[in-house]
Amino acid sequence: MHEILLVEDNPDDVELTMRAFRKSNIVNEIVVARDGVEALDYLFSMGTRAGRPPTLPQVVLLDLKMPRVDGLHVLERIRAHPRTKLLPVVILTSSIEEQDLLNTYSRGANSYIRKPVDFQEFVEAVRQLGLYWLLLNQPPPAPAPA
Amino acid sequence: MRSVIHAITAVGLLVVVSLGRLASQTAPAYATGAATVSLLLLATSHLLLVREISRREHTERALHDANRELESFSYSVSHDLRAPLRSIDGFSQALVEDVGEQLPPDARSHLDRIRHATRRMGTLIDDLMALSKVARAEMTRERVDLSEVAEQVVAELRRQQPARQIAVTIAPGLQATADAPLVRLALQNLIENAWKFTSRRDGSAIEIGQTRAGAGAPAFFVRDNGAGFDPDYAHKLFGPFQRLHAVSEFPGTGIGLATVQRIVHRHGGRVWAEGQINSGACFYFTLG
Repeated sequence: MHEILLVEDNPDDVELTMRAFRKSNIVNEIVVARDGVEALDYLFSMGTRAGRPPTLPQVVLLDLKMPRVDGLHVLERIRAHPRTKLLPVVILTSSIEEQDLLNTYSRGANSYIRKPVDFQEFVEAVRQLGLYWLLLNQPPPAPAPA
Repeated sequence: MRSVIHAITAVGLLVVVSLGRLASQTAPAYATGAATVSLLLLATSHLLLVREISRREHTERALHDANRELESFSYSVSHDLRAPLRSIDGFSQALVEDVGEQLPPDARSHLDRIRHATRRMGTLIDDLMALSKVARAEMTRERVDLSEVAEQVVAELRRQQPARQIAVTIAPGLQATADAPLVRLALQNLIENAWKFTSRRDGSAIEIGQTRAGAGAPAFFVRDNGAGFDPDYAHKLFGPFQRLHAVSEFPGTGIGLATVQRIVHRHGGRVWAEGQINSGACFYFTLG
C-alpha cells in the first residue's frame, strides 16, 4: 500500500487532516511535507531526502499557498518530469478563486477540493477523497526505473 | 499621447514663426510683438496640457494599483481568514468527540456555540467574497430574457423544496439588455428572498413582472405576500449584512440585497422597495 504525500504548511491543518484520515479508517502512511521544497525533495529523492528509494506516493494532496516554493510550482515540476508526470495530484486548499482553479487545472491537476470550515464536512471530504483516490481510482502504471 | 501633443505644439510653433516672418516684412514692430505673445501663449498651453496628462496618468496608475491591492486583499480574506476558522471548528469538534462525555452540559453547549459561530463566520466570509466578485466581474451587455431566467430560478427552488406550496406568476416576455450572469444573480437573490420570506404563511404568492412607473425606463419587480418589512427601515435594506428579521426567524447573512443593489448600480439602474410588516414586499429595479 502506497503512502499519501500531504503538502501543507499549516500545522493545524496537518493535524486535522491526519485526524480526518484516521476517522475515515484510511491507514495508508501519510508523509507530510511542510512546503514545496520538502515536497520536491521527497518526490525526487534529493536535498534532505537524498538517497530515498524512488517510490511514488499513491496520491499527492497539495496546498497552494506555502512558504518558499508554492503549490503551483510543485505541480509544474511534477508534470514536467517523466517519472512523476502521471502522478495523481489533488489540490486541497482554502481558495476557490477562479484564478487558482484555472492555474492548477491548466497545469494538469487531477482534482481540486476546497477545505470546508466545518470539520464534519472536512472529514466527509477526506473520507470520499480517500475512497476515490486510494480504492476506486486505478493509478497510472508505475514508471520505468530511471 | 504626450508625443502627439509635442508634435501639435511644434507645428503650431512653425506656423507662428512663419506667419511672424511674413508679417515682419510689412509691419516689423507690430509683427514681432504679436509673434512673441503667440509663442508665449502656445508654450503655456503646451505646459498645462503636458501637466494635465501626467496628472491623469498618475491617477490611472494609482487606480490600477488600488485595484490590484483589492484583488490581493480579497484573496487573503478568502484564503487566510478561513484557515484559523477551520482550526477553531476542527479542534472544538475534536474536544467534543474525545472528551465530550466527561464535560459538564454547560461546557458542551459552549463548544457547540463556538462551532456554530465559526461556521457562521465562514459563511459571512464566503458571502463577502461573492459580493466583491460582483463588483470586480467583467460586464458584457446582451439581450436577456428575464422571464426565462425567473422560470429557471423558480424551478430550481421547487426542486430544492418540493413541499413548499407557492403560487408563482411570471409575466411573459420580460426583456432586458444586461450582463446575463449578473442579472441572473440579482433576480435569483430577489426571488429567493421572496421564497424565504413567504415561508411562514399559508397561500404564499410571488409575482414577477414589469411596470411603467412614470416616464422613466420600465422597472422590473418581484412582489411577494410574505413577512414584509417596516418601511421606516427601508433605507437599511440594501446595506451589506443588514437584516431586518432575526436569523432564527428567517436564516441568512444579509448579503443578498446588497448584491442586488451592486449589480443594479453597475448597470446604471435603480433599485427600491415597498412593503409593510406582514403584508408583503415589492422590490423594483431598472437596468439603466
